[in-house]
Amino acid sequence: MNRRFTGWILILAILIVLPLQAYAATPQETVEAGVNKVLKTLSDPAFKTKPKDQKITAISTEIESVFDFEELSKRTLGREWKNFSAEQQTEFVKLFKELLQGVYADRLLAYSDQKVIYDKEIMIKEGQAEVQSYLQTSDGTKIPLFYRMTDKSGSWKVYDMVIEGVSMVKNYRTQFREILSNGSADKLLEILREKTKKS
Amino acid sequence: MRIDPVRKALYVVAVAALLGVFCSPAAAGEIRNEPIELPGLLLAQQSRESANDQLATPRFELLAQAAQAKEDEDDKKDEDADDDDEYADDDVKLISDPLIKVNNDFYILNDRLYFWVLKPVARGYGFIIPQELRAAVRNVFYNIRFPVRFINCLLQGKGQKASYEFGRFFINTTAGFLGIANVAAKYPHLQPSKEDLGQTFAVWGIGYGPYLMLPFFGPSSVRDGLGLVGDTFLDPLFWLSPDTRTSIEIRAGETVNDTSLRIGEYEALKAAALDPYVMIRNAWVQNRNKLIAE
Repeated sequence: MNRRFTGWILILAILIVLPLQAYAATPQETVEAGVNKVLKTLSDPAFKTKPKDQKITAISTEIESVFDFEELSKRTLGREWKNFSAEQQTEFVKLFKELLQGVYADRLLAYSDQKVIYDKEIMIKEGQAEVQSYLQTSDGTKIPLFYRMTDKSGSWKVYDMVIEGVSMVKNYRTQFREILSNGSADKLLEILREKTKKS
Repeated sequence: MRIDPVRKALYVVAVAALLGVFCSPAAAGEIRNEPIELPGLLLAQQSRESANDQLATPRFELLAQAAQAKEDEDDKKDEDADDDDEYADDDVKLISDPLIKVNNDFYILNDRLYFWVLKPVARGYGFIIPQELRAAVRNVFYNIRFPVRFINCLLQGKGQKASYEFGRFFINTTAGFLGIANVAAKYPHLQPSKEDLGQTFAVWGIGYGPYLMLPFFGPSSVRDGLGLVGDTFLDPLFWLSPDTRTSIEIRAGETVNDTSLRIGEYEALKAAALDPYVMIRNAWVQNRNKLIAE
């Protein structure tokens, strides 16, 4: 293939990609779209009549599109991530995802009258952002709920949620460290398997 | 049984002194966050230096390429270390927990108290009393404790926040009729975060001290436990109640009322945790750090 031809392809490719990038959703737009989708599902009359496990599955799928569970798992394990074999890592991501989806779907089902307010988005650094939102209850109390996001996967995805100053990733990390300091990666996976089976 | 305020004060001072025994400067200094040098980062820097040494004498292109590859790898290591940096404050050691055995026993006690006593009582209470009324009761309690927050704002030198606290108290006491309605909720700046003596101590540079799981009161630390005792004196309800028993009864009633509005929260947190004790300890410290920083 001659050089000039390659050049033209390159220019064409850039021309196609440029507008796409300009229209890529911002972190806040991504969160808003995800949250609105979940809220819409929750208020759907057909959804309300479904059995609970089907509800959880439906919401879990919606949560999955907004979260980067691999990044989330990596960060939660931190340095320990490298001590896991490839298979262990894959299983860990899968189990941790299941656990969190179950937990949050359950919480969302209990969600009642809160209003979601989007305050602002902050760029932490290149490729990392924080979307600051608040849940407002009927009596006016505002609960800060911040989403930490990364664009490593090509679009903005959530890798951590910080509720009232409590980072979910950090919180699970201390729990995992505690287990890993007394046991192996297998032990941790076993506990996770047991936990996801129950919920 | 009537206890005069002086004896009541003496009693509280005695408890404070007991807590103070644990709060030796050494214990308080232990958890001050020392900057932790990331071994990974250090390693990456060292190997980068050696890579630069190799670059300084580029005799073979191959060697230079190898050095470049190494440098790329080091860049990646740095990147990883940078990513870790966001969470570098070794959260496992956010607070020291030398009393873990006792704390764990108290955690189990609190857990059982919740499921066996508090939750059933709060459920029954919530069944009889409508939610609006329970929310009103909570608001009144919050409003009446205004001096605790106001004085602690002043002790921390947060004049602006103190004025917002006062504004909130004034509006809710008048327009909100003794705090029943949170009228001030309409004004975003009149939502100051809670302040207490534990936070004041923190602002003054005192560390957490060992972690404490207090029976009935839940997670705390030596510093914040002492703060809790001190705050009692700033609490109008303490001075308004004729004796200790009434004061405890009011507290119990308030706890039942609050719990009735939050049933399900603890259950969800516990269900999500692999180690509820560690989860609560860490969540408490993270939340506390945020409150202190505000």
